[in-house]
Amino acid sequence: MKKILAILMAGVLTATAFAGCGEGASNTGSDSGSGSSQGSQAAGIDSAVVDYKYFGEEDNVKLKVWAPDAAVSLIKQQIEEFKKTYSEKTFDITVIAQGESDAATQMLNDASVAADVFGLPSDQLNKLVDAGVIAPVAKGFVDYVTSSNSEDTIKAGTLKNSKGEDTLYAYPETNDNGYYLVYDNTVVTAEDAKTLEGTLEACKKANKKFIFDAGDGFYACTFAFTGGVKIDGLEDGITQKFVDYDEDEAVKTLQAFARLIKKYKGTFTSLNVKNVASGFANGTCGAGVDGSWDTAVNMKSLGDKFGAAKLPTINVDGEDKQLVSMFGYKYIGVNGSSKYPASAQILALYLAGEDCQKQRTEELGWGPSNINVQKDPIVTESAVLNAIKDQSLNSCTQVNIASTFWTPMGNLGNKLVADEWDPEDTAATKKLLQDTITNIRDEG
Amino acid sequence: MTYVEYKQLNPFQRFAYNFKKFILNIPHALAKFFKAIGRAIVRFFTGIGKGFKNYGVTFVKGDWATKLSYLIFGVGDIHNGKYYKGILFFLVEVLYAVFMVSFGWTYLQKFDTLGTQVTHQDFNEMGIPTTVYGDNSMLILLYSVLTIVITVVVFAVYIANIKDAYRHQVLRAEGKKPTSLKTDVKEFLDGKYHITLLSFPVLMISIFNILPLIFMVLIAFTNYDQSHLPPGTLFTWIGFDNFGSLFNFVDSAAKATTFIELTKWTLIWAVVATFSNYILGMIVALMINKKGIKLKALWRTLFVIAIAVPQFVSLLLMNQMLQTNGAINIILEYFNGGVNPQIQFLNSTTLMARMTVIIVNLWVGIPYTILSMSGILMNIPEDLYESARIDGAGPVKTFTKITLPYMIFVTTPQLITSFVGNINNFNVIFLLTGGGPSTEEFYQAGRTDILVTWLFNLTMNSQDYGLAAAIGILVFIVCATLSLLIYNNSKSMRDEEAFS
Amino acid sequence: MIKSYKLRRIVSNTLIYALLIILGIIWISPFVYLVMHSFRAEGLIAVDYLVPREWTFQNYIDLFTGAGGSASINFPKWFLNTLIVAIFSCIIATVSVLMVSYAFSRLRFKSRKKFMNVGMILGMFPGFMTMIAIYYLLKAMNLTGTLVALVICYSCGAGLGFQISKGFFDTVPRALDEAATIDGATKNQIFWKIILPMSKPIVVYTVLTSFIGPWTDFILAKIIMGDNIEYYTVAIGLQKMLSNDFINTYYKQFLAGSVIVAVPITLLFLKMQKYYVEGVTAGGVKG
Repeated sequence: MKKILAILMAGVLTATAFAGCGEGASNTGSDSGSGSSQGSQAAGIDSAVVDYKYFGEEDNVKLKVWAPDAAVSLIKQQIEEFKKTYSEKTFDITVIAQGESDAATQMLNDASVAADVFGLPSDQLNKLVDAGVIAPVAKGFVDYVTSSNSEDTIKAGTLKNSKGEDTLYAYPETNDNGYYLVYDNTVVTAEDAKTLEGTLEACKKANKKFIFDAGDGFYACTFAFTGGVKIDGLEDGITQKFVDYDEDEAVKTLQAFARLIKKYKGTFTSLNVKNVASGFANGTCGAGVDGSWDTAVNMKSLGDKFGAAKLPTINVDGEDKQLVSMFGYKYIGVNGSSKYPASAQILALYLAGEDCQKQRTEELGWGPSNINVQKDPIVTESAVLNAIKDQSLNSCTQVNIASTFWTPMGNLGNKLVADEWDPEDTAATKKLLQDTITNIRDEG
Repeated sequence: MTYVEYKQLNPFQRFAYNFKKFILNIPHALAKFFKAIGRAIVRFFTGIGKGFKNYGVTFVKGDWATKLSYLIFGVGDIHNGKYYKGILFFLVEVLYAVFMVSFGWTYLQKFDTLGTQVTHQDFNEMGIPTTVYGDNSMLILLYSVLTIVITVVVFAVYIANIKDAYRHQVLRAEGKKPTSLKTDVKEFLDGKYHITLLSFPVLMISIFNILPLIFMVLIAFTNYDQSHLPPGTLFTWIGFDNFGSLFNFVDSAAKATTFIELTKWTLIWAVVATFSNYILGMIVALMINKKGIKLKALWRTLFVIAIAVPQFVSLLLMNQMLQTNGAINIILEYFNGGVNPQIQFLNSTTLMARMTVIIVNLWVGIPYTILSMSGILMNIPEDLYESARIDGAGPVKTFTKITLPYMIFVTTPQLITSFVGNINNFNVIFLLTGGGPSTEEFYQAGRTDILVTWLFNLTMNSQDYGLAAAIGILVFIVCATLSLLIYNNSKSMRDEEAFS
Repeated sequence: MIKSYKLRRIVSNTLIYALLIILGIIWISPFVYLVMHSFRAEGLIAVDYLVPREWTFQNYIDLFTGAGGSASINFPKWFLNTLIVAIFSCIIATVSVLMVSYAFSRLRFKSRKKFMNVGMILGMFPGFMTMIAIYYLLKAMNLTGTLVALVICYSCGAGLGFQISKGFFDTVPRALDEAATIDGATKNQIFWKIILPMSKPIVVYTVLTSFIGPWTDFILAKIIMGDNIEYYTVAIGLQKMLSNDFINTYYKQFLAGSVIVAVPITLLFLKMQKYYVEGVTAGGVKG
């Protein structure tokens, strides 16, 4: 019996994973052969450290690297290692703290002064590729990068180039760019954390807040996704495509959310995620939905009381539905206008390599994309990374997202949490959902 | 209405009368305004025509050196003994030639297409992607504008050179010597002092205000946006399409709706913000300056601090205080029986957010009004009050008969400046609400966004440079027409020398 | 009659005092909140109560010793940068404004009105329109990411703000100029020896407004500086502390930094208030 159940569960899990939204036909099968088959003389590589011949003529290399502030000191160490590894060349590499969420905007504003090597989340790739400012992964490196990182991250990093060929545009760095439920385990028990109702009730009892940033499309899309709405890549590279979904079901789910929000007014608070850690620190927050990037500060605020789990379920007409989130990856990209393109590629390859990923997992708690590191006990035994992984099975991939996606989704969230929103008004909810979808698909 | 009748009216009626007159006058003033523009254009072209005529006449009358000046700058001046000026003229020509050959011409020749060679990526023999640079439309446009501006300036120098050569030729024929360098320098400190004073500011303004403006005005006629973004891609001329998309409710409904709705709100905002600040600020100023109120300096100081603290600090604080867990809701908790009312000031209903913005703007603006009013209130001639008191007027009557009319008369120009200022009031909206509450009806804007904050979002977030420039031009046209109309009709402008 | 008049005055004055006290509290409370919470020891970002539970100087100490842990936050350096930019741009801006407004007010020359109208029109384009172009111009001059670029940006357009000081100069009697001219003074001498000494209010007003500018601009400065964190001014530096990467660690230091920026400007303003009022009154009224 147990065995059957296990097989069944595995089946369900795979099914959900495959139903995940980023599965658009456009990106499947990053043809790993395409790199070498195009007649380049470059042979493949088999580690993150490459032969000097790849540098070409470059020496006295000057590079700029953008990394999130928390990672700056570690990246600096890794760069020292990099310099030692390639001791025949001289490097002058500076590392600057630059939030990953801003990287694309900064690149688009003026790529020529942006970093040569920079971190970026998966959803910004298409913008950079469209604008032609990001350099694809060097041909000789593609096979190695493809084989050493998880399939999903490669798939999400592969986009069509201007000639319509599938091209891998960036080096996968993490497999953890998503949010999960984080809670104070003296307020919310692991059992409570399984359902949204339980979590809210526990927080209410303790007179503490449950924080969820409903005004930000990145989080608010959970409302729609949970109800079965699914995105499916882009049409013509601009318009967001949606998979057919059961509108009544989606509306019912939205109403269930709105009812809960109304019922737990004062407990369910829509605030910026930064309030989660702050709330834990001063004891006003019982639980919240926050992302992997805040794990460290949340752990620091809660200490022993730290609890993490995948997002809870919500009861819709008697059926417990798993909350579906947005989930993405992080990459290391190379600036197309770098003055030292070869060195920049080699550095990016190095920083995205197995050793560096492992170090970042150990010291920063980032979830690796490298398949070897993923098997490491440090990953498999981490409560947070497991929560993220569990949640990633119930998620939409954050890739090929239209720039018009976020604002209407945030607006949907704002409307649902607004005082004057009536959860029982089916017609209004339906209209809101339809308007949101129309707006996402409208190019202005 | 005759003068006698007018004099018999009370100040309010006079104000109403003047106001009505002003409104009725707008069509006439507009007509006058456009006629003046028309005349200016005609004058400009007849000026050019005359210029050409003079150009020819001077050439016929000129001696060999003057004639040579038509080709080589400064020859006439050198020939006639005005050495330093001649050398300067010549230097200008040399520098211009060098500039054109080495820089200007390469960009100017691509001005019509804004570039044809697309930048693209290629792989070198090691499989490393490299960028093959083509044309950069943005730089072509910017440097072309620079070249054109420089050319216009050099042309002006060229004409001056010819005129100067001929003038010195005539002087020489009359047997007079050209003025020495020393006399010229002296002249620049006296008779031509305005040139000395204005040349540096004008130069700076030309480079950093006028040149960028010409550039941005031209951008409004291109498709410079997220999918035409140099250096990766090119953009090109598209005529009036950007303006068209703001009024086309069929093909670009979202943009057009946003534009119309935001324009309405911008105007409402500007009117309400200006008048609420003005009236309430005046009342507070009157309270502070009332006879018998002590600690005037203290009261004023309390308000002045609001000016001195940088707005990005005070408004960000306000933003936090207005959140559901912010200070305002906490204070309201005491009046609400210990239950936090969780009022969503900034992101629930449009009305609530707009009211909040206007009220917070009072907090920002009233101190300025107080400062400027205080000075004026102290300046009201004392004998006016004196005579009113002798006539037995009470405080209310003194206020309505003397204080109010005086203030309105004196501060009209300020009112206009602050109206234009509010149309462009970026900080309050941007820092306080960030445009929210969000809406599904607008393109890249929220319910409290005004045109300039929308313009900012379009430039910084969605790289819609062409559209943003078009909006900027429309905002400018509204502001400029309004202010020119009022300035040129306002008393203080016409009586420029009234006080002196 | 006299009694009732007196009574009425007492009542009205009491009312006014009450109103002024309430308004004063409203106006001052954000700063009280700011100052109080800059001394807060507990919590990370904004808290759900008004008065801090524990008090400390640590936020200020951390701000100046850089104890927050990130190498990219360097408040003392930012403060110095801003001071340098403010001093230079205030000198250049003041000189340009005075030169332009004196020329327009006192000198009579061809196309003076045209110049004035053009000046006014230029001031009416929304400033954000030209940011991109200014950025690329400065980049062409190889100045982006430097303090010089900021000085240029804050002072070059200053000449356009001539209206108020022109209005002020207009109120200085012309008879003075005429008398001086008869005595053989040049226009240059009149400007320096007669008009300027009489213009203290407007000079102070101009200095004050142009000095404050660099402390408060957080848009243009950010575009020009890009990722060159070392040369940030306090305004963009403080904004950076509020960005996602930093806010949890630096929020309280942000409050402390804001106090440090606000206090000197406030003191300066209070001290110069009299001149400011005189300047804006005399100049503004005439527009």
